[in-house]
Amino acid sequence: MKALGSSGWKGPVKFRMPTAENLVPIRLDIQSEGQRYKDAFTWNPSDPDNEVVVFAKRTVKDLKLPSAFITQIAQSIQSQLSDFRAYEGQDMYTGEKIIPIKLDLRVNHTLIKDQFLWDLNNFESDPEEFARTLCKDLGVEDPEVGPAVAFAIREQLYEIAIQSVASARESRLSKKGRRGSDHGSASKASGLSMDLVKLFSFKSSVVRKRKDLDVYEPVVDLLTSEEVDALEAREERHAR
Amino acid sequence: MEAIDSSAELELYTIPAQSSWFLWDDIHEIERREFEEFFSESSITRTPKVYKEYRDFIINKFREDTSRRLTFTSIRKFLVGDVNLLQKVFLFLDKWGLINFSPSLNDNDTLSSVDNAKVEQGTPAGIRVTATPNSLRPITAPPLVEQRTVSGVKLPPLTSYSDVFSDSKKPDDVLLCGHCAERCDSAFYQHNKSIVNICEKCFKNGSYGGENNAADDFKLVGDSAAALWTEEETLLLLESVLKHGDDWELIAQSVSTKSRLDCISKLIELPFGEFLMGSTSGRLSSAVPTEDEDTEQVKTDVQEHEETETREENEDEDGPPAKRKRVALISDSDSSLMKQVATMASKVGPSVATAAAKAAIAALCDEASCPKEIFDTGDYTDSTVDRADGDKDTEMEEQREEKDGPQGLPVALRIRASVATALGAAAAQAKILADQEEREMEDLAATVIDQQLKKVQSKLKFLDQLELIMDAEEEVIEGGKETILQERISVLQCAFRSGVTKRWDHTYVK
Repeated sequence: MKALGSSGWKGPVKFRMPTAENLVPIRLDIQSEGQRYKDAFTWNPSDPDNEVVVFAKRTVKDLKLPSAFITQIAQSIQSQLSDFRAYEGQDMYTGEKIIPIKLDLRVNHTLIKDQFLWDLNNFESDPEEFARTLCKDLGVEDPEVGPAVAFAIREQLYEIAIQSVASARESRLSKKGRRGSDHGSASKASGLSMDLVKLFSFKSSVVRKRKDLDVYEPVVDLLTSEEVDALEAREERHAR
Repeated sequence: MEAIDSSAELELYTIPAQSSWFLWDDIHEIERREFEEFFSESSITRTPKVYKEYRDFIINKFREDTSRRLTFTSIRKFLVGDVNLLQKVFLFLDKWGLINFSPSLNDNDTLSSVDNAKVEQGTPAGIRVTATPNSLRPITAPPLVEQRTVSGVKLPPLTSYSDVFSDSKKPDDVLLCGHCAERCDSAFYQHNKSIVNICEKCFKNGSYGGENNAADDFKLVGDSAAALWTEEETLLLLESVLKHGDDWELIAQSVSTKSRLDCISKLIELPFGEFLMGSTSGRLSSAVPTEDEDTEQVKTDVQEHEETETREENEDEDGPPAKRKRVALISDSDSSLMKQVATMASKVGPSVATAAAKAAIAALCDEASCPKEIFDTGDYTDSTVDRADGDKDTEMEEQREEKDGPQGLPVALRIRASVATALGAAAAQAKILADQEEREMEDLAATVIDQQLKKVQSKLKFLDQLELIMDAEEEVIEGGKETILQERISVLQCAFRSGVTKRWDHTYVK
């Protein structure tokens, strides 16, 4: 396996989260006995499996949920982990993949909307660090916002990594063979790459055009309690 | 293309010394090493041109307003590219002081700061040179012919205004002896019960005039020669106190017209006199009670100080004040101003001390425009200290001129200006010492490196010699081999000549 670095096309690398720490985003949404447990967090796939049960037990105890939740939580986590592990043996093409990541989430009273570019090939990237900087620079006081932002980023990265595995498999099956086209196919997967060649070429500048500035600017809104309630009610209705 | 045009006006930016390697037109080795991915030509999104654009943009953005702290989030929307990489560039610039380098920006915990020291705004309480309640009291003694110089505009008194305090505290404006109706220009005696004053001569003669017969009804009030302090004398006094510290004999000698006690009492009266008194607490409290020629004012003042000083004395018992680790009582006037400043500066880090010194100068300048001109401070940079040093001589001259003429400048300001000068001088001295230390350290480091090099060289020499020896040995061995080979050949020849068969080697061995 070649050394992981943020350089150009190097050939397929083994599947993993393209971040400094290989953490899997886990989402839970369990309903039972009239209670609903929603959660989102990151898990280290190299932890031993019994940790899952320990975690489930502790969560149920802390949140005072009925004990039926323990098995359900453990099962959900384990199935997501095994999905992740299924991808792990396979190759993915990372190439020169700079993708836009969008944030549109509400955490308690804080609403965050943001968009920025992320290099999928940069294996030193750190969503948690990015989230920390974001919260600090924008003066977000709620400590739950940072982890939520990091989780959202991770989820999107995970999905795109899965897609790149699928595309790698396709291209291998179709036996294109030539390196140039492989690079092309990998980078075509992200719609932005064509622009990249133009943008990073000799003539143009990496300073963003004024018309795009609004899109890429982070927006933080603080909601009042009534607005929060209204939004939650709407989400419930959509979920049903 | 969004270009930040800062070349229109030539502004001088001061950047920290550690970032002086930076050039606008070029990319330095330090940057190349840090950001290898940009220079390895392995990707289209990471080229030197891209790096230079990122870097220039961030620095220009910061320089648009150097007083505010530039955050990563505020600039990331402007630049196209992987945000993690952008953050790396941003942190690099921050670490090297190319952006966000002003001390005032480091108030909050930053990503790069390790220690959580908080810099207080403004001067620490201990350094503040504030006016004490009687600071507006003029330097010249009130009673005599001269007019009182009061700070601010002199308004005509209201009709209902009656100066109650001046009557009770100060003697009459014109002192005439109650008896011989002459001016009492030296000491005069005041009667306890009435306000009759008689001059020294009359007192000695015993003619008290009128019904004032009892000699002990009279109290010596105001040795006027001693009470009158001109500005030159005050300046001399301050200088000699700073120079000699506690040595009142020397101070009295420098201020030639005033006795030792006069100097001490005058110093107490000055607004910050207590600060300059050093560890005279012991001496003063013992000296004062034995004197019975004190003026009324001096006595009350001294009594107050006695109380404070005995209190401090009790706490002062172990060791000289400057070396103590007391934290709470640092604002007490138990040591000279310079010592206090030194103690505080040694307890806090250098950046805090710098900020405090700058804030002190700023506060002093804010309080009056006169010291501001003296200090000639435009913007507060690291060169303020040097300039203060260089300006000191001119300041002293200016101050002398100003003090000599009665130009209506409030006295307290001048005093403050001189204190500020002293602080500036101390700061300059500290900088010189620091430079010396640095140079010494560099010298030592160079010596160490030299020695290491010498060690390496001698080892190399040794190895070279070994090599030569080995070569010689090799030759010898080669020679040995050859001889053996020769012998073998000759033996074989002999064997063949004498007709021995092929399979002779077994017997040969035997």
